[in-house]
Amino acid sequence: MDAHLQHRLQLLESVLCAVNVGAIVLDSERRIVLWNTWMARHSARSGEEMVGQDFFAVFPELRGQRVDTAIQQALYNNFPSLLSQTLNKAPFPLFAQPGVDCERLQQAVEVSPVTAPDAPRYCLIQINDVSIAVGRERLLREQAMVLRSQTFSDGLTGIANRRHFDVAMEKEHRRAKRGCLPLSLLMIDIDNFKAYNDHYGHQKGDQCLIQVAAALAGILKRPADLMARYGGEEFAIILPDTDVEQASLMAEALRLRASELAIPHERSSSDLRQVTVSIGIATQQHDRPVDISTLIGAADRALYQAKRGGRNRIHSCLPD
Amino acid sequence: MTPKTILIVDDSRVSRMMARQYIVSLHADWQVEEAGTGEEALERVRSIAPDLVLMDVNMPGMGGIAAAEQMRAQLPAVPISLLTANVQTATRERATQLGIGFMEKPITEARIAQLIAPLEA
Amino acid sequence: MFNLSELENDALVEIFNIGVGQAASSMSAIVNEPVRMSVPSISFMNRAEAGRLLAGREATQERICGVSQHYEGAFRTEAILMFPEDKSLEIVRLMVGEAVPLKELTEMEQEAMCEIGNIILNSCVGTLANIFQRELQGSLPRYHIGTSDEILTASGSQADTVLLLHIDFVLEKHQIHGYVAFILDMSALHDLKEQINLYIARAMGQA
Repeated sequence: MDAHLQHRLQLLESVLCAVNVGAIVLDSERRIVLWNTWMARHSARSGEEMVGQDFFAVFPELRGQRVDTAIQQALYNNFPSLLSQTLNKAPFPLFAQPGVDCERLQQAVEVSPVTAPDAPRYCLIQINDVSIAVGRERLLREQAMVLRSQTFSDGLTGIANRRHFDVAMEKEHRRAKRGCLPLSLLMIDIDNFKAYNDHYGHQKGDQCLIQVAAALAGILKRPADLMARYGGEEFAIILPDTDVEQASLMAEALRLRASELAIPHERSSSDLRQVTVSIGIATQQHDRPVDISTLIGAADRALYQAKRGGRNRIHSCLPD
Repeated sequence: MTPKTILIVDDSRVSRMMARQYIVSLHADWQVEEAGTGEEALERVRSIAPDLVLMDVNMPGMGGIAAAEQMRAQLPAVPISLLTANVQTATRERATQLGIGFMEKPITEARIAQLIAPLEA
Repeated sequence: MFNLSELENDALVEIFNIGVGQAASSMSAIVNEPVRMSVPSISFMNRAEAGRLLAGREATQERICGVSQHYEGAFRTEAILMFPEDKSLEIVRLMVGEAVPLKELTEMEQEAMCEIGNIILNSCVGTLANIFQRELQGSLPRYHIGTSDEILTASGSQADTVLLLHIDFVLEKHQIHGYVAFILDMSALHDLKEQINLYIARAMGQA
């Protein structure tokens, strides 16, 4: 081989060895013909050891797996393949510090055909270390999950969410018991909301929820009063230090406010053809505390009576 | 008459509660089970072994019709009735095709009575 | 519009079914669960019609995920795997096995979708190339998201005929329907027809 070509070949080999990516080249018989410096560094196996060996003798666990299929695609069909890090967890035994680390590097692998003149195709396997990117994404995902579980606001309406309600209910229930104060609970459900959604579509349904939530929340005066979104179209209001009469007055004010919004509702079961709410009231008296679940059950029963009685009304039940 | 078991499938807690109360007011000894999604209903239907399934159509996720289709395929003997606020011919026809019942919402005592009447026979 | 005889059509559907069958095995190996894929039917149409069909019956244009690969050599085509956006997320979620909310399609999930496209498209085209005893070169997968029209024109190819494969994908009792579109020009189509007939002749001759 002439000197110029020899020089060029050595230059190219040095470049391939120097790139910051793992490079393995296989011939058509799947023998390793090139194993670059990056591979040697992260596998603790040198190029001298590896060149000439059968790929599947070195990596028997990869036989029949995705890497095998990809090599076949490259050698026989002339097609490149991508092995994503999400679907293929670290196929090669590569480490940041081989011999020291137990955890493999996160790898993104590409297998490409390489044509050579006067010879059957070769195949190039490129391995990228993506550990940092994977780590970053895992962290972001964890943070998002933590944020989501910590939030106390309902995403759609902006008022308190169910989690906030549960926490507040515990607190107020304890306070009422200790202070011998009455505690009232209102369960509010938008009448025929499913029919509204079906008729006007989900976007308008969402807007309706937002409007009703804002209007009702606006009536609450005291800082300890809490309105929360309890379910899809349900709201719950905690009224500490409030007896039955006061709770009923509040409930009636809320019912009126909702109907004053005059949101058209063609499929409403009432003649008004407007959005209305039904409200169930339950009060725990100052000298007769009950379980939280008993109080909620009573409010539910009251809500049921309000619905059954024709909707767009309030009803109160005693916890027993 | 032996007490029956009814499975109510609806994403609205209040709708489930209404249906439950209506059934129990007619038959205090009957068992009422609830599921909030089509997926949950399919998971639990075998262990619940209901005599009747009331399936709301408009639910997030799988939806009532898809859940009814799968349930029909898995347990052809269980009577199912679709409940919907939106009476569409297509839904009515699909219910007939599947060989299941069909009832308009809102849920009222009279409608519940009609739905459970076959079980009382 | 270009079309095939019933016999040619059946032969081609069978060829593609072999191809996706192999893709299903690869995907099965990844998830350790049975994966079934089939091509129930194929059709030929122009690009505008394909765009309309893929956009679906909804008035609102759903976003579609597409993974495309370019092939050339004995013939040239742009091959695109397409699923409606939420279905492709579902597939990735099923393959990856993670419970992450639908709205967070990350770069890594895009990459996973690219690999899925790479597996399915290489299998389809690879089988075609083998049966036709022709050699092609392929590109690495590219990820697209947008309306069906946008995805079908992303490659910039002038060819106007689309060979559309309907794909059924079943994993863990989830059945997902998607499409593979091959954009072909007239000479590629005539080539295809010729090769199918040679394939049929060989098959008959050996029968």
